[in-house]
Amino acid sequence: MPLAACNRRLTHCKRLPFRRISLFFFFAVVFSISSCSPSNRLDGYVYYRLNANPTTLDPALITDVSGASIAAKLFNGLVKLNDDLEIVPDIAEKWEVSKDGLRYRFYLKKGVSFINGREVEAQDFKYSFERVLNSKTKSPNTWVFDKVEGEKEFQKGIAKEVKGFKVIDGYTFEIKLKRPFSPFLSMLTMTPAYVIPKEDIDKGTGLFVLKKWLHNRELILERNENYFGDKAKVKGIVYKIIPEDLTAVTEFELGNLDVISLPASAYSKFKKDKQWSSRIISMRGLNTYYLGMNSSRHPFDSANLRRAVSYAIDRKKILETFYENRGRPAQGPVPDLLRKWEIKDNSREGSEYDPRKAKEIIKREGMSGIKAKMYVTADQDVVDLAEIIQSYLLSAGIAVDIKQLEWSAYKDALNKGEADMFWLSWWADYPDAENFLFPLFHSSNFGSAGNRTRYANREADFLIEQGQNALNEKDRNRFYREAEEIIIKESPRVSFWHRTDFLVTQPWIKGYRVYPIYTMDKGMDVRIER
Amino acid sequence: MFGITLCAFFLIKALPGDPVLSLVGERAHPEIIESIKKEMGVDKGFIRQYAGYLNLLAQGNFGTSYYTNRDVLRDIIGKFPNTLALAFAAMLIAVPAGVTLGFIAAYRKDGLIDKCVNAVSLAGLSIPVFWSAIMVMLLLSLKLKLFPPSGTGDIRFLVLPAFVLSVPAAATLARITRTTVADILKMPYINTAKAKGLSSLNISAVHVLKNAIIPIVTIIGLDFGSYLNGAVVTETIFGWDGLGRFTMEGIIKRDYPVILGCIITGTAVFVLVNLITDIAYHYLDPRIRLHAKKS
Repeated sequence: MPLAACNRRLTHCKRLPFRRISLFFFFAVVFSISSCSPSNRLDGYVYYRLNANPTTLDPALITDVSGASIAAKLFNGLVKLNDDLEIVPDIAEKWEVSKDGLRYRFYLKKGVSFINGREVEAQDFKYSFERVLNSKTKSPNTWVFDKVEGEKEFQKGIAKEVKGFKVIDGYTFEIKLKRPFSPFLSMLTMTPAYVIPKEDIDKGTGLFVLKKWLHNRELILERNENYFGDKAKVKGIVYKIIPEDLTAVTEFELGNLDVISLPASAYSKFKKDKQWSSRIISMRGLNTYYLGMNSSRHPFDSANLRRAVSYAIDRKKILETFYENRGRPAQGPVPDLLRKWEIKDNSREGSEYDPRKAKEIIKREGMSGIKAKMYVTADQDVVDLAEIIQSYLLSAGIAVDIKQLEWSAYKDALNKGEADMFWLSWWADYPDAENFLFPLFHSSNFGSAGNRTRYANREADFLIEQGQNALNEKDRNRFYREAEEIIIKESPRVSFWHRTDFLVTQPWIKGYRVYPIYTMDKGMDVRIER
Repeated sequence: MFGITLCAFFLIKALPGDPVLSLVGERAHPEIIESIKKEMGVDKGFIRQYAGYLNLLAQGNFGTSYYTNRDVLRDIIGKFPNTLALAFAAMLIAVPAGVTLGFIAAYRKDGLIDKCVNAVSLAGLSIPVFWSAIMVMLLLSLKLKLFPPSGTGDIRFLVLPAFVLSVPAAATLARITRTTVADILKMPYINTAKAKGLSSLNISAVHVLKNAIIPIVTIIGLDFGSYLNGAVVTETIFGWDGLGRFTMEGIIKRDYPVILGCIITGTAVFVLVNLITDIAYHYLDPRIRLHAKKS
């Protein structure tokens, strides 16, 4: 064998083991890294996802859904909602409402303790509610108690206590209102109405206790073994903070999350997948998605033009195609689940798709070729929808210019009434039609208080107020119905749909329930069966 | 630094949007909004706000977050090691991979390997991080189940974001290394070295690498400096609790103390990394020594 050939072979022979060793080393590193620690799951804990870090868990300050859904598991109020959206006792054993609808007297359960061991008494409710109204707390939720007698004087520092919060004895608490307000009891199911101890405001009475909060990473709740009612069936809950939807879906598919809300992008995939389709739970939300129009200035100060916009857009088709039927068509601003009345056919004028009629009205009003600015957030889904609406309105004779803004700037612009049109949704704080009428259409609530269409109608104002004051349900529903019919007719906004959310659970998760209001999920029924 | 604080403060204030509106929810009374604004100090004029902020900085304080009420400096200190680990891991992958590929391509200039390296590096530069992140997650997490898709923790959590972050850096390094090495290989001193009978390993390590090191170190310094400011997209997709995600959340919520704190930290880190790079030049290339003795 020539020497050169031998050398080549030798070199070749030397290289092969080196490559093999390198490859072996590479895979050894990869596998050792990938298996260097066992699964991080805590046994007996259920894993949920949050898309953002909760701002705070102080009931007086919470305004975000993440914070409120966790607080519901850590704290309790006087009353809560059951599965049928009825008000049932929580810490209050029973209550009485005076005939004039002004006094609410609550009789508290005995033996309910905060997690620091002290028993809950009536004075704790007085303290907790006054804390919300105290100007030092800077609570954005003072509106929850703004119907209570003496709240203004207390907030201004004129009075040392709120006259309307009265401790009758250790276990009896009374609230007196300035005027009858029918949704008041519903409002007491909200986060700001939870009770906290004066000596340690982080400690609640809830089904769970906050064990650990790693900012931007996870929150761990542990079962409260001293809970006054039936205890949770899981040892605890871990909330993983995962901002990205697709990452959350991947975590779920790997079994690292037990329940996720299906993002629109993953809905079709899961629905078609046999493994998951049967595990999808739908939840009809208490919400309304709508196209708002600034009713206080040209051009949408014309009710006829607003009605033309309503005629011009085929909402049903958009819901079926673009929105993949992930909602129910809206007849008006009040969600179907809260509307306890029928809308008269003649009041629904303007709520059906009729492009010919839309063009006629626009022509008659001399507004053909009119230009309008539509403000939307920069979310791709919303921008896509805005383009669909833009094309419908262009066909009708309205040229819409879409302006995208980041959420904070968007809200600021809407509050100032800068937008001609805008896309927004409203979700229930409490299950009462009033929540979809008073903040959104009463003329006292322009801008940040909710009425961003700047709609003002004295008759609608009067009817909404009458509904708030009505002492019986029949009258209340009549006033609300009449108010809603006026609003539908005057169309300060086009109500598109009530969104239905879809969640998917792992096979080992049993008893998981979804609720239309985030504060309703106390984490009571969910259990793990492997 | 003073200039940066002034520019950052001015730009943040020029942004549309109101931090209080994001904070108070949907039904807050206007008087509550005003009182919160007053407490935050955002109702004052620009100069008074800026002077107040400088005063805070002088006391070594970045202020507290409008949303979480947490100390911004403490949060930054808490998150910085995560960002440092991610940046370091990304460079640990990018530098050997990029430099090796660049060397190979330069030695096989205009050959098949060179074309392949060119195509791969071009792809590495052009593919957006959010896409490569998703692909890597689907393949290595969902299909092969090798690494967790998200979270902050031990080395297992670090691999995917570090890999994704390293791709564009490796691609840049490969291209720079290839061009520089190819130029050096044409130099007469390389022929001299070959003529002297030096081994190709010796030539590569001593003569080529030593002369190519300056542009490589420059790129490493720039990439490392920018990664230390946080990789927003990578950190968000992989749920990595670093400065990038923290900054992004601050921007979205108009949390001015967080944004300013992150900008100031980022600037300081970037300046520091560049300073270290400049000092490294001094040792790596005698020609750019500032105080070289006159011959």
